[in-house]
Amino acid sequence: MIEARSISKFISVVNENGLAGGLTAVLNVSISIPDGKIVSIIGPSGCGKSTFLEILAGLQAPTEGEIRIDGKLVLEPLPSTRKEMEDYKRRYRFISPLANGVFTDHPKHDIAMIFQDYAVFPWMTAINNIVFALRLRVAGIKRRERPTHKEMLEKASYYLAKVGLSGSEYKYPSQLSGGMRQRLALARALSVEPKIILMDEPFAAVDALSREKLQDDLLRLWAETKENATPIIIILITHDVQEAVYLSDEVVVFSPSPGSIRNRIPVDIERPRARTDPAIIEIQERIFAMLQYDINQENEYSI
Amino acid sequence: MDQYETRGIRRFLLEIGGFLKNSLGNFFSLEFLSVLIPLLLLWEFLPRLGVIPESLLPRLSTVAATFIDMLLHKSLLLHILYSMGRFFTAFAIAVGLAVPIGLVMGWNTKIRAFILPLWQLLSPIPPPAWVPMTIIVFGIGSNMHIFLMFIGIFYPVLFNTYQGIKDTDPRYLASARVFGASEFTLLRKVYFWHAFGSIIMSLKTGVSMGLVMLVIGEAYGGRMGIGYLLGQAKDYFLIPDMMVCMAIIGFIGWFLIEVLKYIEIKLALWKVGR
Repeated sequence: MIEARSISKFISVVNENGLAGGLTAVLNVSISIPDGKIVSIIGPSGCGKSTFLEILAGLQAPTEGEIRIDGKLVLEPLPSTRKEMEDYKRRYRFISPLANGVFTDHPKHDIAMIFQDYAVFPWMTAINNIVFALRLRVAGIKRRERPTHKEMLEKASYYLAKVGLSGSEYKYPSQLSGGMRQRLALARALSVEPKIILMDEPFAAVDALSREKLQDDLLRLWAETKENATPIIIILITHDVQEAVYLSDEVVVFSPSPGSIRNRIPVDIERPRARTDPAIIEIQERIFAMLQYDINQENEYSI
Repeated sequence: MDQYETRGIRRFLLEIGGFLKNSLGNFFSLEFLSVLIPLLLLWEFLPRLGVIPESLLPRLSTVAATFIDMLLHKSLLLHILYSMGRFFTAFAIAVGLAVPIGLVMGWNTKIRAFILPLWQLLSPIPPPAWVPMTIIVFGIGSNMHIFLMFIGIFYPVLFNTYQGIKDTDPRYLASARVFGASEFTLLRKVYFWHAFGSIIMSLKTGVSMGLVMLVIGEAYGGRMGIGYLLGQAKDYFLIPDMMVCMAIIGFIGWFLIEVLKYIEIKLALWKVGR
């Protein structure tokens, strides 16, 4: 269960004339996502959806509002008064509020994240990329009960096989194709068995054929985790309307500058879905029309 | 694959073979030999035919004979040993300090704010300008040589390491943080490897700067070392001796840089396929 309460984010930018200016990246976004759902966030580029996702992941602090994952606060909002600011500065003098700790590995929340690029570390082999993530996840467990290195290797190759990468265990990411790299990122995200997977345009850099295959793989793997005690939430950011409608239970349409929720469109169609299902096509058309309108009427939205 | 499974002596010999192939390979290519051999012939025959006076440019064969003579009668090896001993001491101290400081400075903006301006103030002082102060403070001897080389090596290594760490892509950090990496793990597993190329690069610059300071320092004082031999050759106007010293210093620099290159290839295997 993810709850976001009136999230806003202001960032400072440089204007055309070289002066400092402010920009509202996200304005007053509230959303709650129940367990086991796939939610897509869609919108034109620069509408603050990536920023929102990073706030969800705890990689940026919101200016206002709060996000709770199963009732636990992700990051406290930035200070707004001078006094709060001083306290904040004192508290985080040497270590940023984003850090998990100086020496002890410990994830704050049960999240995995997949980026469009830079998803996996190029200096680790495929299997080491996964073992790296696994090792971080078990760091909180007592030393005796921790899985051994061998067990982790086994788990890593199990998940690699799951995404169809068996045989590439000892390859470096630069030796893999773009699609395979995203598969590896997916395997790494799944291997830590998180409650939430956040994806920032995961399939944007992949060619169309591999993309469809990856989407189907994602659905299959997600369906496999449905029997778990807490099913996985997937939040997906995308530019691709077809992808959004095909994959998700709900499509959230963002409007640009400032980024806020324009519309929420439920997709109540049984899985497995067909890409050419008329019901799906109809929803796609509606979202297309909405986005088209936003792009054409851009001036009316800006403040 | 099985090449990497072998152990012991056999593995060692294979590594040596790989190193020689990587380093000397450039020299024994047909392209380069077709440049090198004519150059060596010119070096031998221009003085011999009197085109250039032999007092200014001694023949290749004279230089080679001098080299053997120095090896046998002027304890050249001992001088080299002395110089290298000091050089490696200075190199170890400088790298041992500069890399951690650079890491910490690139990692944390607060620490950076405290100490970076200090290096920015000190580093523009050219290392040779430290010589007079160093001679007075340390006296003439190994300490002075080591300090001068340290000054030469420290700044390039520090700044390049710092730059490499600072430029680490925030998205790599973000994805490691989401998995729960502590700052120390980030330093070890993400920052360091991302900056690895620039660290090795900085070590190469460090080697050449260190050798510059080796020559300068030893020319100013001391009783042992290559730089001392060079200074002596200057005093007695022994051009072949100078050439031998120059060639030895050049060889040492080339060799050390080749070793670093080999280390880079071995440790940064992920870059090879690119």
